[in-house]
Amino acid sequence: MTAEKKTVSIYVMGKQSEVPYGVTIMKAMEYAGYRFIRGCGCRGGFCGACGTVYRKPGNFRLKVGLACATMVEDGMHLTQIPFYPANKAVYNLEALEPTLGTLLKYYPEITRCLGCNQCTRICPQELPVMNYIATAQRGDIEATAHQSFDCIMCGLCASRCPAEIVQYNVGILARRLYGRHIAPRAKHLAERVDEIRAGKFDAELDRLMQMSKEELQKLYNARDIEQ
Amino acid sequence: MSIPYFPGCTLHVKAKDLDDSTRAALAALGLELTELPEWTCCGAVFPLAQDNYMGMVAAARILANAAKLGDGRLVTVCSFCYHVLKRVNFAFRNRTEARNKLNEYLEEHYNGEVTLLHPLELIRDDVGFDVLQDRVYRRLKGLKVACYYGCTLSRPAEEMGFGEPENPTIMEELVAALGAEPVGFSWKTKCCGSYQVLNNAALAADRAQAVLEAASRQGAHVIITSCPLCRYNLERLPVGAAGKGESEARLPVLYFTQLLGIALQLPATTLGLDSHYLDALKEARA
Amino acid sequence: MYTPEMLRLIEVVEQTREKRLQETFPRLTAEEKTNLLRSYHPDYMEGAMRPLKIGPNAGEKLPHAYVDLFESRSMIDADGLSLDDIAYDVDVLVIGGGGAGTAAALLAAEEGADVLLVTKLRHGDANTMMAEGGIQAADKENDSPALHYLDAMGGGGFYNIPELVRALVNDAPLCIQWLESLGCMFSKYPDGTMNTIHGGGTSRKRMHFAHDYTGAEIMRTLRDEARNRGIKVVEFSPAVELIKDERGQCAGAVLYNLETEQFLVARAKTVIIATGGSGRLHINDSPTTNHYGATADGLVIAYRAGAKLIYLDATQFHPTGVAFPEQIVGQLVTEKVRGLGAQLVNIDGEQFIYPLETRDAVSSAIIRECRERQKGIPVPSGYGVWLDSPMIEIIHGKGTIEKELPAMFRQYIRFGINMAEQPILVYPTLHYQNGGILINEFAETQVPNLYVAGEASGGVHGRNRLMGNSLLDIIVFGRRAGKNAAQKAKTVQLGKLTLEHVRRYNEELAKQGLGQRVAPILLPDYRGKISG
Repeated sequence: MTAEKKTVSIYVMGKQSEVPYGVTIMKAMEYAGYRFIRGCGCRGGFCGACGTVYRKPGNFRLKVGLACATMVEDGMHLTQIPFYPANKAVYNLEALEPTLGTLLKYYPEITRCLGCNQCTRICPQELPVMNYIATAQRGDIEATAHQSFDCIMCGLCASRCPAEIVQYNVGILARRLYGRHIAPRAKHLAERVDEIRAGKFDAELDRLMQMSKEELQKLYNARDIEQ
Repeated sequence: MSIPYFPGCTLHVKAKDLDDSTRAALAALGLELTELPEWTCCGAVFPLAQDNYMGMVAAARILANAAKLGDGRLVTVCSFCYHVLKRVNFAFRNRTEARNKLNEYLEEHYNGEVTLLHPLELIRDDVGFDVLQDRVYRRLKGLKVACYYGCTLSRPAEEMGFGEPENPTIMEELVAALGAEPVGFSWKTKCCGSYQVLNNAALAADRAQAVLEAASRQGAHVIITSCPLCRYNLERLPVGAAGKGESEARLPVLYFTQLLGIALQLPATTLGLDSHYLDALKEARA
Repeated sequence: MYTPEMLRLIEVVEQTREKRLQETFPRLTAEEKTNLLRSYHPDYMEGAMRPLKIGPNAGEKLPHAYVDLFESRSMIDADGLSLDDIAYDVDVLVIGGGGAGTAAALLAAEEGADVLLVTKLRHGDANTMMAEGGIQAADKENDSPALHYLDAMGGGGFYNIPELVRALVNDAPLCIQWLESLGCMFSKYPDGTMNTIHGGGTSRKRMHFAHDYTGAEIMRTLRDEARNRGIKVVEFSPAVELIKDERGQCAGAVLYNLETEQFLVARAKTVIIATGGSGRLHINDSPTTNHYGATADGLVIAYRAGAKLIYLDATQFHPTGVAFPEQIVGQLVTEKVRGLGAQLVNIDGEQFIYPLETRDAVSSAIIRECRERQKGIPVPSGYGVWLDSPMIEIIHGKGTIEKELPAMFRQYIRFGINMAEQPILVYPTLHYQNGGILINEFAETQVPNLYVAGEASGGVHGRNRLMGNSLLDIIVFGRRAGKNAAQKAKTVQLGKLTLEHVRRYNEELAKQGLGQRVAPILLPDYRGKISG
């Protein structure tokens, strides 16, 4: 990689800084002297803490991305969105039915979708956000659950939605409804839980716990490995 | 050959029977429908303001997505969806400013290339009512049918192009081809009360009552429609919300695709038909 | 984007791929493994540790970064801070908003306790969120908790505390069922059977997963449930000192509001530390897979309160951290990539280790391959070895990577590398704190009314944790801690609050000429650097 001393100019909340070329916004901001309290989390694209709004020079469009996964560019103006006061419905999952009625009860605003597709365009995970709201609108909870699965709940979709839909919270409601009420339960798991409760493995575990390191090691080295 | 199809949200939830019967009846006629891989709500209501482009974007994207499939056609059956999509498509074809503005919101350019078709049009043009007549297994002889279009299918005439705006006849042509008797019916393009059912149920009930009575006066045994909301208002209100008890004018209300399916002797289950409808129809003709 | 030189080397990997698909590299014997670890594992590196001079573990050798922390003075003035002004008064105080803390808070609330969860960053900002690969549980017919026990013990070098391992393997299926009932979308077959695969050191395929967002799926589900249950959460307010009462019971914590910079007193009948690990201490100057907040805060405050540490000298290096591209060096490449069949390959396109040995062994083998045998691939930060990811597509069919490893795939695509078609470059990276605060199977420490759960605790994994046992650990011991702390709180009578233990610790530091630094550090400091 050409990691020569090449730098670019970025504007963090209006303030200019020279930072190395080819690094992420997050590392560039730290290089420029920021020590994050908000706006930084896993640093690897999983947690959604570092949503950033930016604009490139000579372009009116506002873009968004994760600071930990977006490279700096020369002349970039940026700011972070450390918090977004979005609505989250409170519900008792167990008592819910996996129906359109449930989605509409908690998030009636999904019917306000205008189809502008801003949410899909800006999603840093490149999820079909508008589409999973469309499937939610027609009660296809399974489709919404699967299409929203990779959501990191950064909230950037909600920040751009003209219909004020909180897409990522609709997504998790759909996923939990699917996981709890639609996906078939694992039979082998329920059986194993019953066996454990009945104490089926206690004697064997007792025996292993009493073993010396050498005895255990022997057993360990001789254990067969599932292909 | 499979034709791109936009079911619309209601057909996935409350009006599953319209979706099922449309697919089944058209398939029986050799017209296979393929649902668009991705689709959203059409917007449901065509915006009243000419320059409210935001309200047309969803429909625009549906049409643009259909265009990508290359067939050149898109079929939709719900009267509201048909209305919105048809008018947005008209705007693309005929209004430069609308076309330009809407294209700014779309991911790919669209110019109105797709032809939107109602199943009635598709059957007329691709099968032919005369051919259909020969393929009907169970001629619905003696059945008097009131064809109810409601207000969204045929108006505004210039944009919808669905025949005479106050007196469209395509549904009657279908009914005749099935061997049944279409009855003349002055309320056939009047409004059923539509979304008023949400905030003025009594008003909607009165409208629905009037539609039913008008059909009844002409001796209709059954009313057919292509609109889930019309059906809802006609079917539910006279008994329930209007508070008038079992109306004398109460008639079975079917989707035209269900009647078509019956004539093609498709199993009631594939048409989403309760058996009591079939009984009611039998009785009516007795 | 790979350099032209790297692209040329990839051709070598491609040339041997067909042959390697037929080839199983022999597993290490027990003796080979011991020798490999002794010679190449960073734990055994000369000069990496020094003896700790203070506290319950005084005299033990630990990596410098830990010793620095334990030999630091408190952030607060133990004499000046008033404990009469109580901001929060609850039954159970949970410190840490990751998977262990949230599980603990849910169970404590279920027991009827008044719970407060405090966390340094946002609720859910934790290593749990980043755990990709999976969670172990012996719930298939050919498997048993006893086999799981044996695997965990062997993986940990038989140093694990038997009671803790038993709790781990016994509760595992119960925990998976709990998560399933909360709506976690585990990958399943159409009939509901869990899709499970191998992890390094497992004898049965018991790795449950949710694509490669397993930890994220668990974390966001638990957090959503905590919000539904109305559990009180205070964010951006780490605990910087524990509070005791005059009888020596743990009685709460001093919180520090990171934004207003105020100290706040939280009084509680029982306290659960679930502050996670310590990757951001960058032991051995290593890059890390860890979350921004992984700075061992809980260890520091528990140690000052008299809790004992165990196996903190055993650090887990994940064998496959990103070695290239430079922008994401050190980030995790989940073990699931090897679980699905990708092999580790040197510059000549040869395998040099069975891919699913335990993590300590694979890491050591990679270091040996690069340092001693000089068969690594040069990258800007040093060297790496190939992880031949395209093999997955050959073994399981085209599209498998994008479907099963969407997070990984996305991470590389951002930098112009398609891991479904090109192998990726990896090198060991600081991943997990194997040891921590000593607990028993009830998640109790030696300090009365102080509980610990998750990565902050030590003993359950011995000296090396197996893949899939940490997500399990946080749920098993999070639940145990929450339940036990809530039950205990019902009988606790608190006396007068005191920071006497902090004062005494500071005195002891002064006596030994220590305490120049301040801890916990709360956040790493990368200002003016390109790091982390």
